[in-house]
Amino acid sequence: MSAVLVVHGGAWAIPDELAKASVDGVKAAARKGSVVLRDNGRALDAVEAAVKALEDNMVFNAGHGATLNVDGEVELDAIIMDGRTLNCGAVSSVKNIPNPVSLARAVMEKTSHVMLTGRGANLFAESVGFSTVTTHALVSEFERKEWECHKTYAAGVLEDFNTQWTHDTVGAVAVDSSGNVACATSTGGIRNKMVGRVGDSSVIGCGAYADNLSGAVSCTGHGESILKVTLAKLILSHVEQGKSVADASDLALQYMGERVQGGGGAITVSPSGKWAATFTTQRMAWAAAENDVLWSGLDPNERKKENLN
Amino acid sequence: MLPVVVVHGGAGHIPKERAENSTSGVCSAVRLGYLVLQEGGSSMDAVVEAVVQLENSPYFNAGCGSVLNVKGEVEMDAIVMDGKTLDSGAVSAVRNIANPIQLARLVMDKTSHACLTAEGASKFARSMGVPEVPQESLITEYSRMRWKKNLAPEANPVECQMGKMGTVGAVAVDKEGNVACATSTGGMLNKMEGRVGDTPCIGSGGYADNLSGAVSTTGHGETIMKVMLARLILFHMEQGQSAEAASDLGLAYMKSRLGGLGGVVTVDPRGNWAARFSSQQMSWAAAQNDTLHYGLYTGEHFRRSIRDTH
Repeated sequence: MSAVLVVHGGAWAIPDELAKASVDGVKAAARKGSVVLRDNGRALDAVEAAVKALEDNMVFNAGHGATLNVDGEVELDAIIMDGRTLNCGAVSSVKNIPNPVSLARAVMEKTSHVMLTGRGANLFAESVGFSTVTTHALVSEFERKEWECHKTYAAGVLEDFNTQWTHDTVGAVAVDSSGNVACATSTGGIRNKMVGRVGDSSVIGCGAYADNLSGAVSCTGHGESILKVTLAKLILSHVEQGKSVADASDLALQYMGERVQGGGGAITVSPSGKWAATFTTQRMAWAAAENDVLWSGLDPNERKKENLN
Repeated sequence: MLPVVVVHGGAGHIPKERAENSTSGVCSAVRLGYLVLQEGGSSMDAVVEAVVQLENSPYFNAGCGSVLNVKGEVEMDAIVMDGKTLDSGAVSAVRNIANPIQLARLVMDKTSHACLTAEGASKFARSMGVPEVPQESLITEYSRMRWKKNLAPEANPVECQMGKMGTVGAVAVDKEGNVACATSTGGMLNKMEGRVGDTPCIGSGGYADNLSGAVSTTGHGETIMKVMLARLILFHMEQGQSAEAASDLGLAYMKSRLGGLGGVVTVDPRGNWAARFSSQQMSWAAAQNDTLHYGLYTGEHFRRSIRDTH
């Protein structure tokens, strides 16, 4: 069967000035990940490669380009999950690591745990040879300026408009030619978040989930809302009940909007290669590689097609 | 049928010499939770009250009595969730406070976030006037002994897990039909520094939704996370399974898919409840209709009037 990789670069009201860079970024990441899938590559390797590419890209709020917490520091969250075994690795509130998704994978493969946080996660990174970068290297000038500017707003003011917040978490899902699914999500969190705030991205079943029996999901959007409805697992529970990946994603996102007034997006893939990129926010930058086609989109119902190679 | 509160003191293998303290601990906690409910208190107040009791008791792996991480230090996780609004609050890897469950509730009530970790959680605690306690006050001789034993290279980690005291938790339905859950733990014996288990992860350590019910879990954390045990049980209840059947289905799946053992306390909005476990034991107690229910070993179900002060 043909392998599929879907990637997202965040669901939010992406401004026009960031639109092209966001779409270019997800397409480049999808291309990188699909190279891994070729020649019977593993879904797990593909999602890691795709998310690394997004983390390395300053445009997105993950790894390089991450947003700042209230103290002006970068704290990163990431998760990766293997649908075949349900093995999972996650890190929350980790500092100065350029590729948190790779650290999450190391937690999964080199420890008997699923999740490490804070200083413990950084100590582990050091123990397995991950190099660090300065906070300065991770933060864009644009972000630092935005952070200065937003510091003057009370957090409460922004809350009512959670769909307007920058939510450019990144993620990827894939199914390989063996029918194994995998997912990965990575983020710097919300700008001006409290120190130590953990959103959905590193929480299993919320920011992401993968199970060969149903599929793989990676989510983006208002983190606290995604947590409340355990969005990734909710989508897959609909798939288990017989819904298509598109319908399952629509239903779950609709529910999140109605029940807790949260906006977001999700990319979903089934073990048989069906996929969907769905969102209730104004925009979501996404791309999908299937056979030799690269699909991408930004605005609702938009689907552009081009050659993968 | 309402109100109801069900409490657990951990699933695993509770050594005989600690069994009595474990049972009396959960019974005390459930009595206090029930009192809150009888006086018209919310299910959230009741579960927090019950868990605070268990955190304060040295006989459980939460607050005082927490297991130690590999460095011999205490790092705690906790979660609360409100079934009416789906609001939740959680803390992970927090140090030097007596009641992580109360801090978790403050995260829910006083911030726009759902989870704070490590130093950030401590910073928030300070800002809320939560007193910092010396680590020594949380460490018991028993937990220190288990930690030392487990450091030995020939220690069998699985076997050593079996001897640990358990995560604690509670679920309740109040007179208004609102459900809530609370779970608190010191985590896994000799865990890596910064290891976060299922407890503060919504859907894994606990979940509460007025549309289906509330669950608090205990057992092998990593396995509970991989199957999202609390949410899984509630999905079954949404599809019409009873609290007991859904709990058994969830636990059976965890065992057959991943070989992991655990236990849960579950309640639905109508007051049906269950205390189920796939491990050897789980200390649990429930209060409903002025009756105290409790047990420890599989198949045990004792009943007494809640007024019996034994």
